[in-house]
Amino acid sequence: MKSAKWENIFKGWNRTESETVLTLKQVPIFKDFSDKEFAELEKLIHQRKYGIDQFVFKNRAPGEGMYIIMTGSVKITIGTRSGNENILAELGEGDFFGELALFDDEPRSANAIATEDSALLGFFTQDLMTLQGRNPVLGQKILFNLGGVLGERLRGTNRLLIKAQTVKSE
Amino acid sequence: MLVFAFLFTTVLLAGVDALERKIQNRGLSVLAVVVVILGGIGTFIGSFISQMSQEAVEFSSRIDKDTLTHEFNTLVEKFTSAMPDFLQNMQSSDTDLAGKLAEGIDIVAGSLVSMAGAIGNFMFIAVMVFIFTIILLAEYHVFRKSLVNAIPNKYFEVGLKLIYNIEKSVSSYLRGQFLSAASVAAMSLAGLLLLNFFGANLTLTIFIGIIAGLANLIPLIGPFVGMIPAILIAFMNNIGNDVAMAHQLFGVIPSPFFLFDIILMFLIVQQIEGNLITPALVGKSVGLHPILIMIALLIGGTILGPLGMLFAVPATGVLKVILKEIAFVRQNAHLL
Repeated sequence: MKSAKWENIFKGWNRTESETVLTLKQVPIFKDFSDKEFAELEKLIHQRKYGIDQFVFKNRAPGEGMYIIMTGSVKITIGTRSGNENILAELGEGDFFGELALFDDEPRSANAIATEDSALLGFFTQDLMTLQGRNPVLGQKILFNLGGVLGERLRGTNRLLIKAQTVKSE
Repeated sequence: MLVFAFLFTTVLLAGVDALERKIQNRGLSVLAVVVVILGGIGTFIGSFISQMSQEAVEFSSRIDKDTLTHEFNTLVEKFTSAMPDFLQNMQSSDTDLAGKLAEGIDIVAGSLVSMAGAIGNFMFIAVMVFIFTIILLAEYHVFRKSLVNAIPNKYFEVGLKLIYNIEKSVSSYLRGQFLSAASVAAMSLAGLLLLNFFGANLTLTIFIGIIAGLANLIPLIGPFVGMIPAILIAFMNNIGNDVAMAHQLFGVIPSPFFLFDIILMFLIVQQIEGNLITPALVGKSVGLHPILIMIALLIGGTILGPLGMLFAVPATGVLKVILKEIAFVRQNAHLL
């Protein structure tokens, strides 16, 4: 016998994860999170839509936090759009950028421009602070993972530097 | 009304959020917090009214009109004799202060009817604020998220920062006010008990303390309003008591009914609060210049009366945050 009441009660059992959580799961900053932690994080995340060629942020603008690409793609550039644009990176689904702004008050160091219609998830300094206050264990986890990601980037930069220096000395 | 609901929400939000994380149900958390708050207010008002009426019954059984008149006349005589000669010559010949007081009481009784109407109006507003607060508490994060979603991409980060800053300045202001009110209440209570120790015979001390704490929320004027209940109680309890009539502050200044003792006690409490506790607890949470605060109080008081004064400072604080962000946006407009 199928009753609407029972269906309602058991509705939560096979709940599929939202698109936001699925995207967040790809990001190394949120690795080893439990479903409950993802649910808490989801409440703080802001979902934004950007049209093609729309700026997510501009170089030297005050930065408030990081973005994660849910759908679409974003290019990171220096220089003006017309002529001498220098593309530093092209990012796709599951990639993230702007995470340095979580730590310092420095202005943005590059432009971020959507290259197609994109949906981004924003996670900001104040959200991190709120989370740190509400659930310090979760906040700690994010900071630790962020440290890991930044360390990885630094190591990558070091490798490039060493490579460049070796090429120069040869 | 919405402003009140928003302020109450800001105060209660942290509690509801914390409870929600524990029991995983926002509706129940809101209900629990609201029930606790209402229970607290109900207990306070209930016991206050019952004790107050007890006091009033006792007072009226002890005092009849003649004794009151007599007391007043002795008091007036005492004051007159204590005055220097030139001041005695300056005062009017009409010394029937008790008669004037009786007239005053008649006027008060007459205005009780209009007060009933005002109370009805107040109850309506209170119920509306209560309902708004519950809705805001339950849906705060949803409302906030839809507000953030409505910000255009260009101003997104700036808008988000503005919302955070407003929330921060309002909640830190309210927290500071709450703490300083609590400290005034506690210190007033201690002071009143100390006065009782010296024979001031004050009752309802807890209520006087709480009222003084609440009155302290209104800057500049509140502290003086807070003294009134204590003085009234001292007068009611000590009338007909010769020792209290003849009491002298520090054995020098005549202080009938411990009047000046009470005023001095409250002044000390206010000095401690204003110079030690508030700077330490509240710090520069709002960071407004005293003159600006005074102007804000004048405007708030003119528009909304005492309630306007209560909210003048946080409202000015919010306005300051908004203006600061607008200036920031104008300065960085080319980068957005």
